[in-house]
Amino acid sequence: MDRTDARLREMFAVAPPSRLAERVRAALREPAPTLEGLADRFHFEATELGVSRLAYGRGRDVAAGRGRRHVEQARAELVEYLAGRRTFFTVPVDLAGVAEFQDRVLAEARRIPFGEVASYAALARRVGHPKAARAVGNALGANPVPVLVPCHRVIRGDGTWGHYAFGPALKTRLLALERATPVLVGSTSTRIVCRRGCTHEQRIGEDRRVVFASVTDAADVGYRPCEVCRPRDDAA
Amino acid sequence: MDERTFARLVEEYAGRLYAVAFRMLGHRADAEDAVQRALLKCFAARDAYSPRWAVSTWLYRVLTNVCIDELRRRRVRGDVDSLDAAPAKASHVRAVATRPTPVGTGVDLTRALNTVPREARMLLALHYVDGLGYGELARIRGISINTVKSQLRRGKAILKKALEAGGHDGSD
Repeated sequence: MDRTDARLREMFAVAPPSRLAERVRAALREPAPTLEGLADRFHFEATELGVSRLAYGRGRDVAAGRGRRHVEQARAELVEYLAGRRTFFTVPVDLAGVAEFQDRVLAEARRIPFGEVASYAALARRVGHPKAARAVGNALGANPVPVLVPCHRVIRGDGTWGHYAFGPALKTRLLALERATPVLVGSTSTRIVCRRGCTHEQRIGEDRRVVFASVTDAADVGYRPCEVCRPRDDAA
Repeated sequence: MDERTFARLVEEYAGRLYAVAFRMLGHRADAEDAVQRALLKCFAARDAYSPRWAVSTWLYRVLTNVCIDELRRRRVRGDVDSLDAAPAKASHVRAVATRPTPVGTGVDLTRALNTVPREARMLLALHYVDGLGYGELARIRGISINTVKSQLRRGKAILKKALEAGGHDGSD
């Protein structure tokens, strides 16, 4: 170790806050509630083309023919999402009955990546109607497939939540869930980096998981992107 | 691993994990939050812990995963704020870049570390806080020893330059 190393070791030392271990032990005794138990409270309607409605609370699934497969897939993906094991949905949605403006707003909402938020005003600008933040709010409020089209990622410009079809408490919990869920996971044995929820990612053992902040970071240390889920930095 | 053994691990490692997290994140509250979250994850997955690993490798793996993801979100939060005319003020969307730098000793180092790319910064933190060797760093991040060496070299050069530019010579 040269003089620079010795000096850096000295500089890097930092005193931990007092009673840190005590606070950690207290947190271990009170684990945070998970969202997995909520999966049964979601109900789906689907057409041949995809999921056309998602409801929360009392109700039952409505689907026939190929729609039933969409419902099955949507429920499986939602369970994984609520458990923090999935960061994107692949089940198709059918927005056939939706008017043109709302369709554009929902399409923009779908572009907000997992774990991120945008304001109503920003979304209004992105659909080319910068003064239409309120209309954007109404369009999102009438989103027929919440969660799958992530209208919960749209918040007010002042940082408060705004309206949410399934209630502000659920919006808070979904955003907290996304905050605690890593998006890019690499396997130390294959040196491949996946989006969380990819079938390959789900097979990575607990002891082989490394998280990355970007695909570029992963490439810098020898990990290549998965060819199935194709992670990209602009949509990570 | 039973609960009592895990409680002893917490006692033994919390301070060291905190120091690594602080050097990665540069912020006391975020560092404590990262340590809490990492240890909660380890506790929940303690049955999956394999004794063929050094316990420190396991703890540092989970901690660095949590810290790296926190750094990813900071990048995202910066983007969101720059896109919005009226930046959101809720704590979860606050812009890290606008945070005041903490006063007192270590300000230069915190600033200088901010200039080091994430992967290299993490290896520097593990290497200089806890004196971990190349082999253990490679196991923690699942990378080759050569990559560890080149990342550390690169990180150290950037750090040194930033410290010198800030009037603090890291080699004195």
